[in-house]
Amino acid sequence: MPQNLLNKFSSDVFAGLVAPALKPGGLEAVHPAFSIQGDELTPIPDIPEGINGEKHYIQRMMEDLQRALQKPIEQRKWGMLIDLRKCTGCNGCNIACVTENKLPPGISYRPVMTETHGTFPNVSRRFTPRPCMQCEEPPCVDVCPVNATWKRADGIVAIDYDKCIGCRYCITACPYAARSFDAGYFYGDFNGGERQPYELLPSPEYGEERVREEGSSPIGNARKCNFCIHRIERGELPACTVSCFGHATYFGDLNDPQSLVSELLSQPNVMRLKEELGTNPKVYYLV
Amino acid sequence: MKTQNSEKQLSRRDFLKLSGVGAASLAALQGLGSGFKPISAAAARAALQDNAKYVYTSCVMCPAECGIKVKVENGVASAIYGNVYGPMNTNGVCGKGASGLQMVYNANRIKYPMIRVGERGESKFKRVSWDEALNYIADKLIALKKKHGAECAIMDAGDVTDRDPYWYLFRAFGSPHVTEHGAICDTPRRHGPKIMFGGKRVEPDVMRPVLVRQPDGSLKNDYSYRTKLIIYAGWNPFTATRINYESRGTVEAKLAGAKIIVIDPALSNTATKADQWIPIRPGTDPDLFAAILRYILENNDDNDPFRRYIDWSFQEYSQGWDEFLAAFRSRWYKKDPLNGLKYFSLEWAAERTGIAADKIAELAHTYGITKPAALVWGMNGIGHHYNGYVASIIGTVLNVITGNMEVPGGAIDTELVKSDKGGKAKGEDFVKREVTRKVNGQDVTGKIEELHMDYYGDWPAAWDDVVGDYPRRFLEGVTLRYGPFRGYKYPIKAFFMRTGNPVITGSNTAHWIEALTAKDGDEYRVELVVYIDTPMLETGLYADVILPEASYLERMALSDIYPSHQVIYLRDFVIDKLHESKTQYDIMIALAQKLHEKGDPDIKPEDFWEKFPTEEDFWNEALKVAPGRAHAGVPLPYPKYPVNYKLIGTPDSLESGKATIDDEKKVVQGEYVTAQWLREHNGVAIWPMSWHRFNNGGVLKTASKKVEFVWDYEVEKDGEKKRQGQYSKYNKLIEAAGETPFAIAKLGWKKYESTFYWFETVWNPYTNPDYAKYKDEYPFQVVCGRVHHAMSGTQLVDWLGRIPTEDLWAPLNDERVVDEIVIGENGPTPSGRKVQLAKGSWCIGVIQMSASDGRKLGLQTGDLVELETPLGHKTRGKVNLVETIRPGVLRVAMGAGGRFSPGLGLTYDFRDVTPNANDLTDPEGHSPIMGMPVYADIIAKVKKL
Repeated sequence: MPQNLLNKFSSDVFAGLVAPALKPGGLEAVHPAFSIQGDELTPIPDIPEGINGEKHYIQRMMEDLQRALQKPIEQRKWGMLIDLRKCTGCNGCNIACVTENKLPPGISYRPVMTETHGTFPNVSRRFTPRPCMQCEEPPCVDVCPVNATWKRADGIVAIDYDKCIGCRYCITACPYAARSFDAGYFYGDFNGGERQPYELLPSPEYGEERVREEGSSPIGNARKCNFCIHRIERGELPACTVSCFGHATYFGDLNDPQSLVSELLSQPNVMRLKEELGTNPKVYYLV
Repeated sequence: MKTQNSEKQLSRRDFLKLSGVGAASLAALQGLGSGFKPISAAAARAALQDNAKYVYTSCVMCPAECGIKVKVENGVASAIYGNVYGPMNTNGVCGKGASGLQMVYNANRIKYPMIRVGERGESKFKRVSWDEALNYIADKLIALKKKHGAECAIMDAGDVTDRDPYWYLFRAFGSPHVTEHGAICDTPRRHGPKIMFGGKRVEPDVMRPVLVRQPDGSLKNDYSYRTKLIIYAGWNPFTATRINYESRGTVEAKLAGAKIIVIDPALSNTATKADQWIPIRPGTDPDLFAAILRYILENNDDNDPFRRYIDWSFQEYSQGWDEFLAAFRSRWYKKDPLNGLKYFSLEWAAERTGIAADKIAELAHTYGITKPAALVWGMNGIGHHYNGYVASIIGTVLNVITGNMEVPGGAIDTELVKSDKGGKAKGEDFVKREVTRKVNGQDVTGKIEELHMDYYGDWPAAWDDVVGDYPRRFLEGVTLRYGPFRGYKYPIKAFFMRTGNPVITGSNTAHWIEALTAKDGDEYRVELVVYIDTPMLETGLYADVILPEASYLERMALSDIYPSHQVIYLRDFVIDKLHESKTQYDIMIALAQKLHEKGDPDIKPEDFWEKFPTEEDFWNEALKVAPGRAHAGVPLPYPKYPVNYKLIGTPDSLESGKATIDDEKKVVQGEYVTAQWLREHNGVAIWPMSWHRFNNGGVLKTASKKVEFVWDYEVEKDGEKKRQGQYSKYNKLIEAAGETPFAIAKLGWKKYESTFYWFETVWNPYTNPDYAKYKDEYPFQVVCGRVHHAMSGTQLVDWLGRIPTEDLWAPLNDERVVDEIVIGENGPTPSGRKVQLAKGSWCIGVIQMSASDGRKLGLQTGDLVELETPLGHKTRGKVNLVETIRPGVLRVAMGAGGRFSPGLGLTYDFRDVTPNANDLTDPEGHSPIMGMPVYADIIAKVKKL
């Protein structure tokens, strides 16, 4: 095992406790947004035109996204809108996220919360998919003792697994419970003991193609939704968005007034979670 | 796959699990090494770039069969997305569909052919080669055929589309008994559309986009929702996603201004999006529908725009309305013996359904006045009751007379407009062959199909077979009562069960076990039971031979889907076959070869390996009939082709005019659709949508090419009188034999009624006087629902096991350390591992109960109770006390509990505290026309354990 993990544990954590956490100022220089986009953006699907000239919403959002990629990263601001009126509670987004990012048991970046209210027969049930809110003022970033988590120029809150020491301060700090700790389980642990073939494949997260294995990151790290940066950068929508069975999830550049997500945000029934905390989330809900 | 064999009671990993990897245990992670060889990141990245691909195929995690796009990395399926090019689910994929990887790669897959070494049900098997397994089967089949005729063998092929190779083989072998799960799914629900349209499945027009011919000749996608009202009765498309576009279609239609009303005893996920949820008393949907019809008939005023419910134009494309109306009206003057109220009156319906009379009136008025609208009834509410036929017929009538069938935004019978497929690959020609049998000492010759145990036996009108009644025939044998072989008796000696699990789902569990284990001397009465599947479910434990079938990502086939117009998806090879599994095609050919080698006279090389050298050849044959529907409706799909001609061929060949028009046969013949064509077109073929497809006959499949309100009638043609109507065929058989099928004799019928009929459901003290005496002692009605797993065979999937659903599937597990059993080389085998399951970490099937009922009984959520029926049938489970169900009703998920096959993984581990709904089902409870088990006609008392 992971001497490096122990090193991190023994040195960085304690160092972080002694010295105040560094503010993540010029960290962009340290953590450049990786780029795999190049010329190879994923082609936009060719679907027959609508009778009023409209496009399939996936086409429209991919166009929005690929247009945003032409701009410098600091001019993009990725945001998500989830229409709770359309969420059917199917959990497609939840499992698609798990498979896309090859997440271990106990972790989904996008669980669907189910709440039931009322007394028979006046009862209601609500489904609330909960990705990371990608806060403009992320409480998780400031508490990280080793600057392993930071807000990218395009607004996505990312984690450097090599720096993360697994102290879990960020997990406590997140008011949305959007961060999880990777405790090292595999699905095979609950099904025969051998790892399942898809668990042996590298995760595409952050474009790093890490194979999750004992003794190295991301096991022992904090983990969270990153809007599928690896997909965005090649011109694709996040896995949850493209999988949404109810067509309830929208994604795009909030800085682009032409984007579908910006257009939908102009409605009066938009809300965000825990607005009062001042975290300024970039995930919006239509209710 | 190896099993970790450890002499230690606990491995270090297990220890970690037991201790919980908590805050203090991070350092302990260093000990997690276990001989596992990782691929290096660089190697993996290189492999990904070189070897990542996407394959378009179709799902089989539930019967909705969505179009999917599977990511394959280095030969491993790693993620499942929706196919954006298909209009049904378009880009979407549900939690079930995305979870397919854990089915495909499950440790509990059947990996090798196995032969039973213990008694049936003992779970003792040994691994054998394919050759040994097929020899065993072929020898037995040939011997049984010689002794009892090929009709002693049944092939129940489970899934609909992938069934064709098995059906083809067994029909060639000479058995008329090929079936699939439809028979135990929802046949009463489909009955009304079947007898009135020749269809089956009425759904709202909410599939978007649909490809529509434009005035300028172009084809464009129509995204507009025109529906103004949808009423779902006992239908929950959000969770049981059989018609996959109905979930997004419903919410989109609602946002576009439609009103959604859900009638269901429990707050289903569909009901969560409804404007109105009406928690009806179970088993009273026909009562509600009849009251709506009476209200509409009595209150319709053609001159008042606020009371103009009926669109009389339906008379242009229907016949027999006067007869139907007269029969319906004749009943409403009679009084119900149970409550003294007149049938179908608002007060009568209120008394029965538990819905206030003014609410019923409002519902009827809303439905009558709001157009376009769709009344849609479902598998649960109508399919699972003895008298579901009545509701299905009245529901169909309501959609017709209000002018909602086939109008934009109205209701569509999807059975009539989906693409055809199968054709000659279904093997129907084989059962037209003649055979001779000795009946009462006389040689009688007839067609193989006339030996059918249901159609010429006890269930002449059960065109989907009667799987729920198999146990009785396994035990008692078959007596033919109709047709040329009347009086012929034969036993059922071979039962092939493929991708199905009737021990848990096909009526009463104990009755199935009794039938599969009954013996004559040393020999089991059903001498050969073969189980073919990917997971190992309970029915497999009673099999003599088990064959591993390739999973849906390892085989080819065609999707069986119910879109609003003709669309077809390819199921394609995504990954290599795992373990020693074989596809349906492989198994068909291999078994055919064995039978041929061993001298079976009916299996001929020219029908099998010479005709279909590859799997693709077989499915190309099945595609030759696609789309195969009448060219009909507005806007006409192909203005250049004649109306009502049958269309055959690819969308592009029909579009470009590469088609010949045969005026004699009335066929427009383009280039055949092939698997390769589909592959080159993102896995999907889409032909244009139109509406008003009943006009001039169009897609209707009735004898008169009209909507028929009478089902046995005479017509005069060329001076000859002829009987027509969907029931006439069966009534002719009955009249010729002079014998009434026992199930309808119980209703007091002599034969099938020619128009409107009414009978009460069973085991319902609130509507049927015969059961009123049970009201106080058995105060609960038990209904079933579905969890996200959809069926009984996906509950080994970990991802789905962690998702609570509809208060039926909840994390109420207790803390356990279990000795793991996996399906190994020789069947269920202890792995030597212990797996710890923390309390509340895994969802188990529970009994959904109203919180107010729970309070009255002094129960709390999580308490273990026993349910017992008046017949003494029992099951047990934990109660989940919630506000989301009507008091007096209990709901249990179908197949989610009491699962005793170790192949179910963690679901198996909680079998002692989870309920099996079919432990309670009345083994003799078969609905009278099609023999469907009466899954939801159950009453019970509750005892705390």
